[in-house]
Amino acid sequence: MGSSVVFQQCLISSLHYQQPNHQFGYGGATRASAAALEATTPASSSPASFPLLNPPAEPQDSPASQLELADPDFYRIGYVRNVRAYGVEFREGPDGFGVYASKDVEPLRRARVIMEIPLEVMLTISQKLPWMFFPDIIPLGHPIFDIINSTNPETDWDLRLACLLLYAFDRDDNFWQLYGDFLPSVEETTSLLLATEEDLSELQDQNLASKMREQRKRALEFWEKNWHSGVPLKIRRLAPDSERFIWAVSMAQSRCINLQVRIGALVQNANMFIPYADMLNHSFHPNCFFHWRFKDRMLEVMINAGQRIRKGDEMTINYMSRQNDILMQSYGFSSPVNPWDVIPFSGNAQIHLDSFLSVFNISGLPQEYYHNRRLSNDGDSFVDGAVIAAARTLPTWSDGDIPPIPSAERKAVKELQDECQQMLAEFPTTSVQDQEILDSMLEARKTHEVVVKYRLHKKLLIEKVIQALDIYQERILF
Amino acid sequence: MAALSTTWLYQDRGLGSMVSTGHVMRGKFPVQLLQGNARRCCSGSFPVRQCKVGVNYFPKRSPLRTCIKCQKGDKDEDDDALDHVLVDQPPYHSYMDSTSGQMEPASGARASIPGRDYWPEGTADRVRAANAPAPTGESAAPPSFGKTPGSRRKKNKAAVAASETSEMSDIFDDAVEAELVNEGLEDSKDLPSEFVVYQTEPQEEELTGYALDKKLGVPHPFIDPEVKKPIEQPLTSEELWWNWRKPEKEQWSRWQRRRPDVETVFLKAMAETGQVKLYGDHPTLTETSLYRARRHLYKDERLQAESERLKEVGPLAYYSEWVKAWKRDTSREAVQKHFEDTGEDENTQLIEMFTYQTDREYRIMMGTDTRIRRDPLAMRMREDQIKEIWGGDPVYPTINYIQDPDEVIDFRGPDFHEPTPNMLSYLKERGKIISREELDNILAQEKTEQIETTDIDEAMAQAVDIGENDDEGEGSDAESSEEGEKITRNWSVLKSTPELRKTKEKPKKNGMSLDEAIDDSENITDFILDFDEDE
Repeated sequence: MGSSVVFQQCLISSLHYQQPNHQFGYGGATRASAAALEATTPASSSPASFPLLNPPAEPQDSPASQLELADPDFYRIGYVRNVRAYGVEFREGPDGFGVYASKDVEPLRRARVIMEIPLEVMLTISQKLPWMFFPDIIPLGHPIFDIINSTNPETDWDLRLACLLLYAFDRDDNFWQLYGDFLPSVEETTSLLLATEEDLSELQDQNLASKMREQRKRALEFWEKNWHSGVPLKIRRLAPDSERFIWAVSMAQSRCINLQVRIGALVQNANMFIPYADMLNHSFHPNCFFHWRFKDRMLEVMINAGQRIRKGDEMTINYMSRQNDILMQSYGFSSPVNPWDVIPFSGNAQIHLDSFLSVFNISGLPQEYYHNRRLSNDGDSFVDGAVIAAARTLPTWSDGDIPPIPSAERKAVKELQDECQQMLAEFPTTSVQDQEILDSMLEARKTHEVVVKYRLHKKLLIEKVIQALDIYQERILF
Repeated sequence: MAALSTTWLYQDRGLGSMVSTGHVMRGKFPVQLLQGNARRCCSGSFPVRQCKVGVNYFPKRSPLRTCIKCQKGDKDEDDDALDHVLVDQPPYHSYMDSTSGQMEPASGARASIPGRDYWPEGTADRVRAANAPAPTGESAAPPSFGKTPGSRRKKNKAAVAASETSEMSDIFDDAVEAELVNEGLEDSKDLPSEFVVYQTEPQEEELTGYALDKKLGVPHPFIDPEVKKPIEQPLTSEELWWNWRKPEKEQWSRWQRRRPDVETVFLKAMAETGQVKLYGDHPTLTETSLYRARRHLYKDERLQAESERLKEVGPLAYYSEWVKAWKRDTSREAVQKHFEDTGEDENTQLIEMFTYQTDREYRIMMGTDTRIRRDPLAMRMREDQIKEIWGGDPVYPTINYIQDPDEVIDFRGPDFHEPTPNMLSYLKERGKIISREELDNILAQEKTEQIETTDIDEAMAQAVDIGENDDEGEGSDAESSEEGEKITRNWSVLKSTPELRKTKEKPKKNGMSLDEAIDDSENITDFILDFDEDE
């Protein structure tokens, strides 16, 4: 990545989708404007899709063209077991795997299936007691079952999944023995569970760091308790060292999909490891969703109805609509345009919600704010997920028809901006410095990179909020 | 070639019809023909030059491919692959007929394959899944089978060695929280070398000989002949360690023993004749099931042995088994000698021998149907073996019932010449008869009881009616006590009839015995005490 101006980078909202014919509430820049803007900045833009393991967003036509196809065995091991991918291919970049469209898809009324994955290749545990495994690979007397039994039903789902994954690696006929070769290894994981103390200290977020330490400690304790030296070989060889176990826990936390599935007549919430579907990356404006077909027990990954997909588009899923630190904790990535991000404001200053929304042409219900393109001029690409996050997190008031008092508004805006500046000042580094650090480190550890990105994104968000408040102040109509 | 020409006609007709009638039909019809045709040509077993000829026939393929759509969005996008199969056209032009064994054209009637709308549920999904192309390409690295996750990722392959050491050291620094962890790490770094190493590659060994036969399903003996150990000395059932021992003594009846079935008995008989070697004296379940599987082979073996024996020994000797009465020498030399002596050839001698055969023997020898080859083992079975399987004779079930038809039964006993005995004294001795005197004595003893009962009656008769019946009032008392009055509602006819009472009392007061009374009476009818009141 070349050096680039931070603010311009903020302005690029490279959300790769087309506005649909009928408004479905997706807001953001069009492809054309995004491309135009990207042409002005030499560097690669901050990607809108936030993958588990990032592919860099492409300035060219498709994000896929710079990535190379994944190993053909990756799909082949699944194809043999009735996994099918229709019109998508798996590509791999320096940041990991991603699923990209191999042909154009017309927008249709029906959701189209792009992948179908049978139950037999998954690893599933039901969330509640009694824990049921589909497919039932754990034999009755195996001590791993006792270990799983000893976990806390409410909180230890990731430990259970980790045990199951490690056991599956040990079973000779299991699909995961083959698929495990394509999971990110210890060096490649961005999960903070495997981050060093140094990385955690660089987070510049004490809460998150302490949470991660706690998680790591919990995993370690569990490993020590159940993999002490007196334990039988059957168990011992599953995780001979704590690193492997913690890796498995990080896999469980980041790649687990929680679905409510119906198997036969039984409907249950299950934590599932689903092989090809977990290579899908995250986006806040996804184009795919999961559907469980109970008839033949397949998970279908389907494209949203009415979504036009170009060749080379990335297929994305919304992992969770939460703020960056939760994303970081669970998955190990963060996004500068997270519309669900939260900035903890203290103080009494409040701005008028309706005028803020109207200034930026954000419409929709609070749960589904989107940038309404029809109201704004085409050239405006300032509004992105960060502004929507601002609309949600800024302390606002809205009281029916009562108009905002201009002076009070200005005062409130000033106060909020001050608070933001204060927050920015509390950080040891500025966003510019962070960007430079990112640019300079080449062969850094993944976790380190991700940590630096996280704090960068946080600062970018705050800066964007300040900017937005400025614009708001300018554009308030009185 | 014939197939091609007919389809050319089809196409012609189709096009012609489209042009002449001019109505808009789904343009798929000629298109699919062409496409189907071209595909058939190339995919079938036709030689290459024919294929090329086929291609030349249809030079205008591409413009015809544009379909006439009736409506926008009429066709679903993912039907593209599936619509090449036409609804009304058979998907092939010739097929191998199983009846005639030849290639037949498909222009005969054949049910058409229905379109997608008529497919059962899930078929469309399966078709789509089957149509999805398999991935092509070679994999760069072999799988590690769970040992090194992430080994097949592209980045990892390049940078593994470099980053590994740095990673390790970082993680070592990290684990300061408990000393145990450090120790654990150190221990566990060493321990993997002590663990069993698993094969990551699938085993390459080939199967040969018996194992190959078994895998392929080629006929093979039950036990691998190289591994098979011959039975040196057959042990008894008691000595065999795998034989179930059932206690015979505790059963209180022989009916409780296990019933032998056909296979067990046959197998035992075969062991006795030496065709099969058993491990013990009774066949085990395994041996029985093995026999059951190869039953036909054993029978064939036996039949073959029989025919060989027939050839070897000669017909006279062979069939003399079924003629018990033929005692002469039946060897080939004796037959030859007999022929030289008397001039009777083998057949004539055979006929003569068969004249000595009994009907029963004949039946056993031939069976009911001469067309069925009887199992020689079954024909030679012992009595008790036959009984075990097929049960005994229903008419004469046990030995006791078998009778010699020629036997003359003599009913004369040791007292044959004794005179007719005195029946009366005989019966008296046995206690069946008693003498008259004894009888009278017994009856006389019984008679005394009668007198006692009449006293009671007299007393009852003298009793005054208290007035049980209130309806008639007190008039009834007077009426009933009077003699010769009509009897109304009395409790005893006997008691209220004075005549009856009188007649009864008369002989009793005399005190005669039964014999005297009988002698006294003119008639037995005197004892009938049922007189009318009118008298």
